[in-house]
Amino acid sequence: MIVIIPAYNEETRIGPVIEAIRSTGLDLEIAVIDDGSRDGTAEAVTRAGAIVIRHPFNMGYGAALQTGYKYALRQGADLLIQMDADGQHDPEQIPRLAEPILRGECDLVIGSRFLVPTGYEMGALRTLGRRVFQGLGRIAGVEVTDPTSGYQALNRKVLALYARDDFPHDFPDIDVLLMAARSGLRIQEVPATMQESPRASTLHGGWRAFYYVYKMLLSMWALTARPKGKH
Amino acid sequence: MDQETLLAMREVFLAAPESGRAQIFAWILSLSLLIVVLVLVRRRTLRAEYTPIWIGVSVGLFLAVADLDLLRSAARMLGAWTISSTIFFLGLCFLLAICLNYAVRLSQAGDRIRELAQEIALLRQRMDAGAVGTEEPGPSGRAKL
Repeated sequence: MIVIIPAYNEETRIGPVIEAIRSTGLDLEIAVIDDGSRDGTAEAVTRAGAIVIRHPFNMGYGAALQTGYKYALRQGADLLIQMDADGQHDPEQIPRLAEPILRGECDLVIGSRFLVPTGYEMGALRTLGRRVFQGLGRIAGVEVTDPTSGYQALNRKVLALYARDDFPHDFPDIDVLLMAARSGLRIQEVPATMQESPRASTLHGGWRAFYYVYKMLLSMWALTARPKGKH
Repeated sequence: MDQETLLAMREVFLAAPESGRAQIFAWILSLSLLIVVLVLVRRRTLRAEYTPIWIGVSVGLFLAVADLDLLRSAARMLGAWTISSTIFFLGLCFLLAICLNYAVRLSQAGDRIRELAQEIALLRQRMDAGAVGTEEPGPSGRAKL
């Protein structure tokens, strides 16, 4: 089992995240994809004893994730866990994410903050956005409560699908879940507690929120406009 | 012809009713552009990341032609004589902007290709020298849950 962590300028946070994963005692390979950081992220990862895969320049969160998927495929991994580099995700919950896949119940597991009340607070606008995309996802054929969760477990079938050229560079959220669902892959959610991101702005904050909404709507339309199974 | 006469003539041009046919043609053009963009996205020929500008142009053209008074105001502001010349002028400005934008993107892409080629060359040199593979490998990954 491989854990991949996309990271961009996370010099101060990545070390403790790797330590926290190691302290679970699970037999895991940890690979951090340094997406062209300008700080000492790669050196911090090496110091923490994990594998670092460096992009020569910044390409975006989705591109970093995809590098991790391709690495896992080449390593022959049957199961991959993806986590964020800012310490939002609790590594103690890795077994909970992995178990449904190991039992063969599904192909992709999402750690959801909203499946059961976990006390996670989201701003009003983001909550509205989440509910809108949740509703649109349901109409399009994917039923999830936390489409923006970056805490996921994927099996090899999902990795093969996500390693293709049309995987988005920037925001792989409900659109890639929809792509997986329309390709016949089974998605399941498990409850996951998460910390608030310590970063001042998130991937979906500020002006990017408008682009995010536009991009998701267009991608979802394009996916549903294609015949099922041809993804 | 004196200045006042010229200005009066320009007002006559600007106030002249536009042909409905030109308006319909512009609407067809904007809708066609929108459909072509959507078809390209659906076929995965065009990535969604590169569509905002084209969808923006399509919607912008549709709305601009819907309200000709807005275009008349723009024509007066730019010192143009007719609405159609204003549209051509704005179109030319857009094409110049997009050419410049693509020149910038091409420059960035060129830099990145060079960087990638150099990385590959350095990796190949390390492979030839037998350095790759001597780094400490991570623990191979099977789940132990």
